[in-house]
Amino acid sequence: MKLVLYSGGDEKQNLHLDRTFVKLLSKKNPVITLIPSSSYLSEHEFKSFVKHYSKFRITRFIHFPVDVPFDKILFQEVMKSDAIHLGGGNTFYFLNSLRKAKLLPDLRKFVERGGVLTGLSAGAIMMTENIEMAAYPEFDRDENTVKITNLLALNLVDFLFFPHFKNSSRYDAFFKKYSRLKNKVIYACPDGAGIVVNGEELSFFGKVFAFSEGNKFAIN
Amino acid sequence: MNQINKNPVRETGKRLYPMLSRINGEHPFKTQVPGGRVEYKARYRKGGKVSFFNYSLAREMGLIPKTHVEQMSPELEKELLETFSLVIINEYDVMNDIKFPENEIHQNTYMATRYLQLQHPDKTGRTSGDGRTIWNGTVRHNGLSWDISSCGTGATKLSPACSINKKFYQTGDPSISYGCGLSEVAEGLETLFFSEVLGNNGLRTERVLAIIEYDKGISINVRANPNLMRPSHFFGHLKQGNYDTLKQVADYYISRQIENKAWEQTTFKSDKDKYFYLAQQVAKCFSETSAKFEDEYIFCWLDWDGDNILMDGGIIDYGSIRQFGLFHREYRFDDVERFSTNILEQRHKARYIAQCFIQIADFLSTKKKKSLSSFKKHAYLDLFDNHFFACKNKNLLQRVGLKKNHQEFLLKEHGKLVEKFRKSFSYFEKARSKKGVYKVADGINRDAVFCMRDILRELPQIYLSRESIIEPEEFIEIIKSSYAKRADLKVTDQRRRQINRFQTLYASLMKHIQKDFQMTRNQILLEITMRSSVINRYERVTGNSITFIVQKVQKVRPKLSADNLYRLSSEFANYQTLDPDKKFIPVPQPIQTPILKGLNSIVRECREGL
Repeated sequence: MKLVLYSGGDEKQNLHLDRTFVKLLSKKNPVITLIPSSSYLSEHEFKSFVKHYSKFRITRFIHFPVDVPFDKILFQEVMKSDAIHLGGGNTFYFLNSLRKAKLLPDLRKFVERGGVLTGLSAGAIMMTENIEMAAYPEFDRDENTVKITNLLALNLVDFLFFPHFKNSSRYDAFFKKYSRLKNKVIYACPDGAGIVVNGEELSFFGKVFAFSEGNKFAIN
Repeated sequence: MNQINKNPVRETGKRLYPMLSRINGEHPFKTQVPGGRVEYKARYRKGGKVSFFNYSLAREMGLIPKTHVEQMSPELEKELLETFSLVIINEYDVMNDIKFPENEIHQNTYMATRYLQLQHPDKTGRTSGDGRTIWNGTVRHNGLSWDISSCGTGATKLSPACSINKKFYQTGDPSISYGCGLSEVAEGLETLFFSEVLGNNGLRTERVLAIIEYDKGISINVRANPNLMRPSHFFGHLKQGNYDTLKQVADYYISRQIENKAWEQTTFKSDKDKYFYLAQQVAKCFSETSAKFEDEYIFCWLDWDGDNILMDGGIIDYGSIRQFGLFHREYRFDDVERFSTNILEQRHKARYIAQCFIQIADFLSTKKKKSLSSFKKHAYLDLFDNHFFACKNKNLLQRVGLKKNHQEFLLKEHGKLVEKFRKSFSYFEKARSKKGVYKVADGINRDAVFCMRDILRELPQIYLSRESIIEPEEFIEIIKSSYAKRADLKVTDQRRRQINRFQTLYASLMKHIQKDFQMTRNQILLEITMRSSVINRYERVTGNSITFIVQKVQKVRPKLSADNLYRLSSEFANYQTLDPDKKFIPVPQPIQTPILKGLNSIVRECREGL
């Protein structure tokens, strides 16, 4: 299993994470697909995405919004690509679209087949068991605009992921309390930080914090 | 006379909106073409409110300062109402000696212009023209003059109802709809949403400056354009053989074009030279426009009267305008007495208009009106035909996603290849359903079955991914639309050949660019992928989508302020701007308001329709 979980941030902040991602591809001339969280203005996101990864000499990209109908021909190409990147945005809307398009099982199969799955913010949360994390903390959460109740996601990792973490007492207080209710570790990543899963191995990039059973730990 | 006191002033005496205060009915056409208009006194119309104001257009026209906030203030609303909330004192009012308070009557008169309209029995333009519109005036800003007119300002004697029933109507007469002189908010909204989208996408069009709303959904819809003249403004006088007025119209129009620097040539050796230059410009504009209409699937009912279009091919009167999602080339609007032209016949009507202008140029140069058929072999009609196909070739390369310099290179160096590609493209675009012709809500149609926008969007991505051509069955799977039935999708031998030919020609175009611009295959395909994903976005407005959007906006409008409506229409038009070169400020998580999301989902639902 090859996964990269990005929190956010700019090119410079994510340089090491990006380099590790490119190494994971271990292929010359790979194909990367962007699945944006919403088709709304996603062409511009695609353009930025292409610009970003072109710096790593990647030249083959697919833009694949899932909240609009798509045909099976392009879908087959997506599933054959070397990496799929799940974009950032509203996590609830994104999950709803992926579920409506019946893509969750296909994405799991893609990972099982050895494809690299990367995700930014909402896209990274999507790799966890469920997207509950997107609803918390109250002062920094996504609106459940689509009003979905089934929050089960890809369930590819055994931890919870919180992007755009700010190392402050307000966040600490919330996550310490929240982690007592959960039997999983919460990895909270500020922008520029992230996690790479390569088989059984977990690597942390940037200042990642872990919350577990009411305690906070700094990793790295 | 104690007349209406326009122009709010500051205590210091300086007018807040000096440009708006100049819009008072005065217009050069009134004096330069006295036989081309009817003048009316007008009075202030009470009970109006500004339900929409186009700040961006107003800035462009210099009506508000560049730095003006996009927020309706009581002063601005008052000024807009005093400028645009008016109703004419028409023949019915005068004949029935209806009295109006003196202080509500505007000082200047306002004109309704005369132009040819085929709905009038006269057929020569003696009775026809602006039936419910008056011209508010003209403003000049940054070297550009603008015409402003308002629809719904009262019944004029130039309406079809007036001429057919041989009587004058009181404004608002409930016994008659179109001839009553009023217009509705829905019409204004339809024009607003449609014209902003089409205008943003490079089509010339009238634009909505303001909507003044009254009770029961009645409104005055204020429109603007740098030149609101239509071919029909010429054609009436041409039909009548009225040399003097025709010359005045032509001279007026030409002087405005020169004033606005709309033409490359601004000085002429002789009158003949000038009038033939006008004819040449019309031929060029109308061939370009009809090519664009065909390629963007825009249905604009062009006919011999030249009424539904502006002189530069700009769109006016959105009542019958549609944009199809597919190339529904057999759609015809049912106008009770007859069917409209279809999208392919628009070119012939546009060519006819060009031919009429050659006749006009000759008439004005020789003072002898020859028959229209005398000009059927004129060189300008060859210019029209050649320019039409040149524009179609260019339009297709643009739709493919090629950059301007790549388009120009291919058109110049590999024109025949582009031509072949266009014919191949057209083979699929024109494919029709085996279901045949059937009745639709407002006319007849035979469905197009393939969505070529989808193949243009997906093909470069698939080529990038697999580095080989796609199978004919895959090609059909991508282009099939919801209108296609199984019988329409058969991969016959001919289709198989056509699909291979399409891909071979597409690859050849790419190879030439690769070679000449020293790009790799992936570089050019990636560039096209990015551009084409914007140009051929899954959701593009159609006529039906605009109708439903207006219905939805009407439902939520009680909660929408004028400013909210402005923001909504701007956001919608921005999202529907399919221009890959448009500067875009990246937003990490672009947010759609729930209502905008609703409008976009309507566009998605209606994307292949009429």
